[in-house]
Amino acid sequence: MFEGLADLGHAWLGFLNPTSLALGLGGALLGIVVGILPGLSATLVIALLTTLTVKAQPNDAILVLICSYVGALYGGSRTAILLNIPGTAANAASCADGYALARRGEAGRAIGIATSGAFMGTLFGVVCLALFAPTLAEFALSFGAFEFFWLALFGVAMSGSIVGRDPLKGWLMGALGLFVAQIGQEGLYAFDRFTFGWGELAGGIALIPALVGAFGVAEILITLSDPVERKLVELKDSVLPRFREVVQYWRTVLRSGVIGVLTGLLPGVGEDSGAWMSYAAAKATTREKELFGKGSIDGLMAAETGDMASVPGHMIPMLSLGIPGSAPSAVLMAAMIIHGIQPGPMMMIQHPTFIYEVVAMTSLATITILIFGLFLVKPLLLILRIRRTVLMPIVFLLCTVGAFANASRLFDIYAMLAVGIGAFLLRRRGYHMAPFVLGMVLGPLLDKSLRRGLVLSDGSLAPFFTRPISMAFAIVTIFTILLYVPPFKRAVRRVTGGVGALVRATFARHPRSGDVS
Amino acid sequence: MNERPFGDAPAIERDLFEAEDLTPAEAEAVATSDLRAAAGWLVLGVAVLIGSITMDRLERQDINPYTVPGLLPGLLGIVMILLGVLLGVRSWRRGGGRPGGARLHVDPAIVRRLALVVALILVYSVVLVGHGMPFWLASALYVTASILTLQQPQRAAARRGLTFRDVALAVAIGLGSGLLVTYVFQDLFLVRLP
Repeated sequence: MFEGLADLGHAWLGFLNPTSLALGLGGALLGIVVGILPGLSATLVIALLTTLTVKAQPNDAILVLICSYVGALYGGSRTAILLNIPGTAANAASCADGYALARRGEAGRAIGIATSGAFMGTLFGVVCLALFAPTLAEFALSFGAFEFFWLALFGVAMSGSIVGRDPLKGWLMGALGLFVAQIGQEGLYAFDRFTFGWGELAGGIALIPALVGAFGVAEILITLSDPVERKLVELKDSVLPRFREVVQYWRTVLRSGVIGVLTGLLPGVGEDSGAWMSYAAAKATTREKELFGKGSIDGLMAAETGDMASVPGHMIPMLSLGIPGSAPSAVLMAAMIIHGIQPGPMMMIQHPTFIYEVVAMTSLATITILIFGLFLVKPLLLILRIRRTVLMPIVFLLCTVGAFANASRLFDIYAMLAVGIGAFLLRRRGYHMAPFVLGMVLGPLLDKSLRRGLVLSDGSLAPFFTRPISMAFAIVTIFTILLYVPPFKRAVRRVTGGVGALVRATFARHPRSGDVS
Repeated sequence: MNERPFGDAPAIERDLFEAEDLTPAEAEAVATSDLRAAAGWLVLGVAVLIGSITMDRLERQDINPYTVPGLLPGLLGIVMILLGVLLGVRSWRRGGGRPGGARLHVDPAIVRRLALVVALILVYSVVLVGHGMPFWLASALYVTASILTLQQPQRAAARRGLTFRDVALAVAIGLGSGLLVTYVFQDLFLVRLP
């Protein structure tokens, strides 16, 4: 306990130097700029900055990436408030109330509330990260192949169920991601799978080019196919953060912080779930229900606190289990691996102080968003005046560099294009990318765990279901999937009365998401 | 969200796959699209399954038979087939694939615009980049050409032709971005460029 506190203190002191502060501020500023631009996501900025910082010191590189992650999600709220378009998917829940406040001439106040909510949310998440990630990592040291098999499967199943409106499409995307991860040389015998004798494919489809394709190229196509230029609401009043409102709505802040961190723990569900669930919970408990969607401060505070608290929340399973909570944290994990740090239970043994360094980096990121919330709000909004026909070709330029630079392979650029065009076509048919990304990340783990587990059990499936932790994971995974099968769902409802509906309502972003049939 | 509001401007195209309040015709069009996609998933699943079954089982290396490389891909193939069938059955029950039924409408102007964007990015990243042309020049050409061609509909709507100012601005932005990206990545951060 005290050793942890000492490590944390050391980590904080380590970042209190001008270089780290400048890198943190730079990362957050870039993140905010990308977050403000509709269509460009946190995933993309982290992927591009991973390329830019590939030669930097690991701690400096990861500091920049974490600050850009936090900055992008915070920056996205500006667009939600002023344009009624979420800057990143996570800010969608802020649109209704933020834009309504802006239309009433209170755009500055809305931005101030978003800043204070974001600050409090991230801070709460950081405390949870410091408290729970080391404990979870130590607990996960007892996991073997059987447990990791279920954990990977649970991640993809959960992501498929929650993200988007249609679990069936979510699971299909998860299966596709898992399959794409199997292409190339496999880990046990270095055998080439699905390469059709093409040497370039033996290296597999790398994660960063695929993500740049799915979140960069696809967004460029979506944005440029829509020729409408949007109208910005004028910003007249003060944008200073409102901490008086944090005190007034402390219940909302605390509740949304807890919900954000808890959704962060679920694999692959994304920051938007944290925002939507906090928003739904605030709406269910508020005294000003009639104001929701029409400029409720409670609603805006809940959405912004929830999405920002889920950022450190997503880092908890990513650091301690090697299972990322969202697409941006998946890229962050890939960046850590590039810099020689393998997240997962062994990290506490190989790099025992790293979790505390991440905590210190995220705290620094929290402070940077407060600084940018106090200053530079109005100048940064000028970026929204750049025409998309100018901006998007430049973004594609960066995507090409981002895909190429990690391995210096032209093949990675072609992979980015293929994934990007494929992602665009799939997204227009209601398929979401988060389960695909999680599938790609967890594919190698699932493959190795399944085959190693079968070797250990000499072909018996029993240990997958009988070891205590495996059994718990198996029950949760199968239950999650079965909840979407109507006869099972009806049976659950009969048994538990209204409880089943409440669980679904809590876990579904949209109250009436589609069923299997 | 039920809709994608664009400030005061109307939405160009409603995202039917994310909407809750579909008309019967829209629901049928979505179901037909899903039915076609289900066929695609089925074909992919079968191909993956066949690829996995026929994959080398490394018997000559005398490996443990439970660790054959095609094990997980084969299972994934089966999952895709099962989910594809479920998607197909659901779409069929929702009225998908009915002869003469409603189909998704895509605005031909959007398709043309998309084709142009895809052509531009393909020419840049497949033809221009990585085959000897300096990165800054390839990028400058791509950005300039993109700005000039993508802004054409706006000029046409405003009933004005291409002016020297338009071209000069596009060239300046193209050269500026190509040179700046090259400087920042290659010289400042020592990252190799294509």
